[in-house]
Amino acid sequence: MKQSVKTITKKDFSLFVNTLIKDATYDVVGVVAKGKRFIFDTLFSADDLQLQYDVTILPPKKYFLPQTESLLKFSLEKPFEEKETLNDTPRIIIGVHPYDIIALEQTDRHYLDSQQDNFYKKRRESTMIIGVDIQNVSERSFAASMKTNVTDTGFDLLLTDIGNAYAVTIGSEKGNKLLKKYATVNDASNADLKKIKTVRDAVIKKYKQKVKIDKKDWSALLVGNYHHAIWEEHADVCMECSSCTMVCPTCFCYDVKENVSLTLKDGTRTRTWDGCMLKDFTKVGSGEVFRDEVKERYRHRFFRKGNYLPERYGFVACVGCGRCGSACLPDIADPCNLINELAHFDSQENTGRFFITEENEMLEKGTIHVPRSATIKKITPFNELDTLFEIELDDKKPLGHKPGQFVEVSVFGYGEAPFGISNPPGNTPVFEIMVRQVGNVTKKLCSLKPGDKVGIRGPLGNGFNVQSFEGKTLLFTSGGTGMVPMRSLINHVLDPKLRDKFKEVIILYGAKRPKEITFMPDVEQWKKIHDVQCELTVDRCEPNECWGGCTGLITTLFPKIKADKLDSKNTIAVVIGPPVMYKFVIKCLQTLGIPDDNIYVSLERRMKCGVAKCGHCQMNGVYVCKEGPVFNYGKLKQLPEAFE
Amino acid sequence: MKQKPRVAVFDFADCEGCELEIADLEEEILDLISLVDIVSFREVMKEHSDTYDIAIVEGSIMRPMDEQRLRGIRSRAKILIALGACATMGGVNKIRNQWMPDEVKKDVYGDANLKGNELFDVFQTKAINEVVPVDYYIYGCPIDRDEFKSVITAIALGKKPEIPRYPVCVECKKNENICQFELGAFCLGPITRAGCKAICPTHNSPCEGCRGLIKKQEADCVKAVLERYKLSYEDIRRRCTMYNYGRKECSYDE
Repeated sequence: MKQSVKTITKKDFSLFVNTLIKDATYDVVGVVAKGKRFIFDTLFSADDLQLQYDVTILPPKKYFLPQTESLLKFSLEKPFEEKETLNDTPRIIIGVHPYDIIALEQTDRHYLDSQQDNFYKKRRESTMIIGVDIQNVSERSFAASMKTNVTDTGFDLLLTDIGNAYAVTIGSEKGNKLLKKYATVNDASNADLKKIKTVRDAVIKKYKQKVKIDKKDWSALLVGNYHHAIWEEHADVCMECSSCTMVCPTCFCYDVKENVSLTLKDGTRTRTWDGCMLKDFTKVGSGEVFRDEVKERYRHRFFRKGNYLPERYGFVACVGCGRCGSACLPDIADPCNLINELAHFDSQENTGRFFITEENEMLEKGTIHVPRSATIKKITPFNELDTLFEIELDDKKPLGHKPGQFVEVSVFGYGEAPFGISNPPGNTPVFEIMVRQVGNVTKKLCSLKPGDKVGIRGPLGNGFNVQSFEGKTLLFTSGGTGMVPMRSLINHVLDPKLRDKFKEVIILYGAKRPKEITFMPDVEQWKKIHDVQCELTVDRCEPNECWGGCTGLITTLFPKIKADKLDSKNTIAVVIGPPVMYKFVIKCLQTLGIPDDNIYVSLERRMKCGVAKCGHCQMNGVYVCKEGPVFNYGKLKQLPEAFE
Repeated sequence: MKQKPRVAVFDFADCEGCELEIADLEEEILDLISLVDIVSFREVMKEHSDTYDIAIVEGSIMRPMDEQRLRGIRSRAKILIALGACATMGGVNKIRNQWMPDEVKKDVYGDANLKGNELFDVFQTKAINEVVPVDYYIYGCPIDRDEFKSVITAIALGKKPEIPRYPVCVECKKNENICQFELGAFCLGPITRAGCKAICPTHNSPCEGCRGLIKKQEADCVKAVLERYKLSYEDIRRRCTMYNYGRKECSYDE
């Protein structure tokens, strides 16, 4: 579509801006000076606008995903009261450069494609973008190499300085109307259109930073160098300050926090920018950090930009603004330099794809951040560590989960934590979770009583596709709390209505100590069923503990499998347990001759938002909360971060 | 109604500025006293009680008599909170640990006869946790009022307070400041624990590290930055003396 182009004299443009400010329909924001740098800030006069700027310290992202924003307010005095906090006046942002416009279009894909984020969506809808063509290039920008120095989309209006006037490209009907209502414009002549091109072409020569590798080839270059020494070399001088992600227009991960007023009467749940360079980013309640080494985090950031998001959305998530390069004190964050450095080396390896495409029916359920009210029906302490909770949704609708899915449980004032669902699918609004006291939320949960309210989001994630298991022998191996989601699956396939659809069922279960065995009554039950083989082991047993069963790691149970029962090619193996267990169990399964594609695992990561937004559970290019937690091992094994 | 926890506030060698921050909660003081009973707080009230659940202790420990008093406080309190840089780390009071106590005394008091006067019987400065176990830390010089509130509410709710373990740069970037290094200054933000909302760099003053270092001064990354900005190791050593003299970086789990 040919866009209509107008011209506006600079004097009239100032008048236009000042009218907008005076009119007060919109919060008018523009590029203004801050010392020798520039920022987007509230405009008080058109005179303050600095449209010749090179780059702003922070991108305009802050107007769509603010540094800190409230997601919901809750009361601690009433059983369950929360409300989402959405409240923003319409805004106009004046002076956005093309690379930042493109970055916003990329962020749209993440926040609006599926599981829409209401906050982001509302702000996007109520904000108009008046872009401006770049006139001055910041020292570290390489936007021309990324072809993000110009754009035809993503703006309502786009200004180009053509001397005594601005050419105004109209990008939307909203932009057109705004212009009609508030500005005096003329149609652009052919000469004006030529000038736009001249201005844009002239700027390209100003870029000092150039990437030697075309952005479409970044992905292959990175993949070929996943294990290159460069990551460690640079990470050795990394400050781990995450300044690079804070200033990045395409970084959009966040953390969620719970703030309670001093009176303890009410509080807010807020989200705030988080950075994958920070160690706590992947830390789970039990204290485990999944991307522990600096070099892994350092590499993750580049792979996210050059491989993970390109695989997912089809674009390189770097727009060449150069902000990270100038913000990084040891100067190791600049993608232009990194890619150019890597370009000197041949690809050392071909480790394949770091991304899994998974058919996933994530339902749009209105708002993604607000939990549903639910009531604790029953609390059963199982052993020293674990407590079983029966929870009923207050809307009395069935949870509608598949085995392997999880829920996010909120205790207002304490936060939210993910729990695997331990009962089989059914038509009741009651479901079960197992709680082990490790963090603030789990400790508080264990102090609650039947009748107390909690918040529920979910079911979330990708469960087991049980239909695909039909006609097969099923071998279930679980370690420790891995039994929680496994029990949902086992009891589902052992359901008399479904049992005939599967062949033999073999259950192997290992716990650290006898007193850490969960679901003992279920285990006893399974042992009694004639076509089910159920074997149990504990890692160790204290002298004072009563244990007549097998002692040893979970792998010691494999020789007990009755060989005649196992037609390995026709067996589906499911493994759920602590991270350390997978490597060894999978080796046992492979020894039994079970093909990798017949093995399914469920992984634990820091599932925080549960809707593939916040980034905490990301494992290479995969969001565990969306593509997982259940994965096919045949596909998952290409992901180095899955078991490393 | 459940009885409110009884809170007492004490100070040792310090400027009382962190206590003043509590007093500066202004109208929120009313919220605070709806949550807890303040039974002792010399800076703002004349009443005193020796019966309390939570002791908030400001200041560093300089003398045997301080140690004795602190042990007494610890024995009476179920929970002990170290308040501010002097209490949590020793802070500015540790600057004098560069010299022996006798040298310092001589320098300050000359030939005055201090013998036998226990008020002047100083040893090398200690942080609170070098004398008694500390349950919670509220860092900073002075403390951040919001962090104080969040620690108090966390304790009241029975949850672990969230104290940042990432550097000041994170908050500084969110505030959209021009980096102090870019302005030609030398800032400890990159190696200092956040939680202060980057208040100093936001007001154009480089970070002095009052919330404690989260990286070693000798770390390779620090060396790389010093080199790039043509600073010497002596520069960082001197800057760290202000709040972090003789103190190692905080461990990740601290």
